[in-house]
Amino acid sequence: MAPHRIGLVVPSSNVTVETEMPALLARHPAAEFSFHSSRMRMHTVSPEQLRAMNAQRERCILELGDAGVDALLYACLVAVMVGGPGEHRRVESAVAEQLAAGGSATKIRSSAGALVEGLHALGARRIALVTPYMRPLAQQVVSYLDSEGFTVSDWGALEVADNAEVGCIPGDRVMAAARELDLTGVDALVISACVQMPSLPLVDAAEQEFGLPVISAATAGAYSLLTALGLPVDIPGAGSLLCPAVRQPA
Amino acid sequence: MTDLEHRVRGVDHVAYPTFDPAGTVAFYRDTLGFPVVHSICAAGWGPEKHPDFIHFFFDIGNDDRLAFFYYFGTSPYSAGPKGDVYARFGEDVPEWFVRSRHLAIHVDSEEALLEYRRRLDGSAWPVEMQIQHETIESIYTHDPNGYMIEVTRAMRPVTPQEDLDANLTIDALLDVVAGDDVSMGALLARKAELIVERAPGWSAEHEPIQPSHA
Amino acid sequence: MTTLYVLDVPENKPVAEVAGRDPSVAVDSVGPYFAIVAAGPIVIDRRATGCRHAVWYSSVAGVSGGRITQHDKDALRVEPT
Repeated sequence: MAPHRIGLVVPSSNVTVETEMPALLARHPAAEFSFHSSRMRMHTVSPEQLRAMNAQRERCILELGDAGVDALLYACLVAVMVGGPGEHRRVESAVAEQLAAGGSATKIRSSAGALVEGLHALGARRIALVTPYMRPLAQQVVSYLDSEGFTVSDWGALEVADNAEVGCIPGDRVMAAARELDLTGVDALVISACVQMPSLPLVDAAEQEFGLPVISAATAGAYSLLTALGLPVDIPGAGSLLCPAVRQPA
Repeated sequence: MTDLEHRVRGVDHVAYPTFDPAGTVAFYRDTLGFPVVHSICAAGWGPEKHPDFIHFFFDIGNDDRLAFFYYFGTSPYSAGPKGDVYARFGEDVPEWFVRSRHLAIHVDSEEALLEYRRRLDGSAWPVEMQIQHETIESIYTHDPNGYMIEVTRAMRPVTPQEDLDANLTIDALLDVVAGDDVSMGALLARKAELIVERAPGWSAEHEPIQPSHA
Repeated sequence: MTTLYVLDVPENKPVAEVAGRDPSVAVDSVGPYFAIVAAGPIVIDRRATGCRHAVWYSSVAGVSGGRITQHDKDALRVEPT
């Protein structure tokens, strides 16, 4: 059967989505995937640059529409969340409408929406998260998740403003930040609430170390894409969200 | 009568094609003052390939919208001396038929109607006709695409007995078009029968309203 | 008997009123309709009603026992069948 075509809308300086998503989905036991991305220019993770980035959305969707992708992931998590509560639904609707108006059947998901979806799938209410952002942006991410009904009991901000640098944050630094969090009573840990901060190798290790479900924006994105395409969720070695057989109760 | 729950909420949008977005915007946004409230920039990706297009929407009140499609690189498909850019007709097609399809937009007062009259009369698309009778008053013009637009106000509220009358007309019409004599005479005869059958019972349940004139 | 039905709304009242001036015509009601009844023709002069054209030409709701033989700017005439 032909590979499922995945469209990715990424910030231009983002290299992690195009690394982690293919790596994740390549582990699928049955289905095959091809990846096609379109870029929105952005270097500094600041509110102004994020808003300017969002203005390029229509061009990106036109480009991916031409590629006839089966599912599309709008992989600009914090760019969506700065838009305020519920923004991922508005963005997903706008993208879906743009594609549907042209007769496309592409399924639409966003990293922001996927994070919410993944946490709900784990049955999580009380969560903790690690982010690479400056504190004011990190606070916006926390507020966004708050408005989605989660209790963010603790969170960390690594305060890296340059998006290229975020893509190079070593795993040790992410794990160190996770260890500093108070995980008492937490249902799930978001080891990376960012699609540029590399975290894929850390997810399983963090689950073992902390003894609770761990997800990243990337693993949540993969979960969301698989369910959108009606495919079984069965990706080993990337946390219990993607491997229901080993999922620990929340 | 129907027992189906009525859950719809009016016109999400009524859509027309245009080959002249500048004229369309000049008419609806700049002359009539209808705000642009939405747009979609899309291509043709479905089974039926079509050009890249912009789908744009004007608010026409009550959250109802009038939408246009502008397809890049296209020209009108119909030809003929009469009609609009969507449909053109030959000389032999009667004017009353050509004018039958139109959009009428509601206003609440005489002041509002006269304001829209003023806006149109100051533009390249002046009011072509103003009609008044006891129940409605309307102004008419054609937009840059040739679509007929009416702005209308009710001069008195609709009465419940008009609802009854409308339903009797429809029921009579359905009977008549299924029969051999399809004519106004047959309709009026059938409707007379339905009036005798149903009107007294209606009165038993309703108090007819006699509204004063607006 | 010929019966002409006219919906009882304000703009139609003059039609029933003028019709009723003829002593051979009776004006009853059936529900919210005027029932204008006569053994012979019913003739209504438009100008006497003062009705504008749009109202005049849409004032007939139903006809029984007769047919309209004239409905123009001058008069409405219903003849018995």
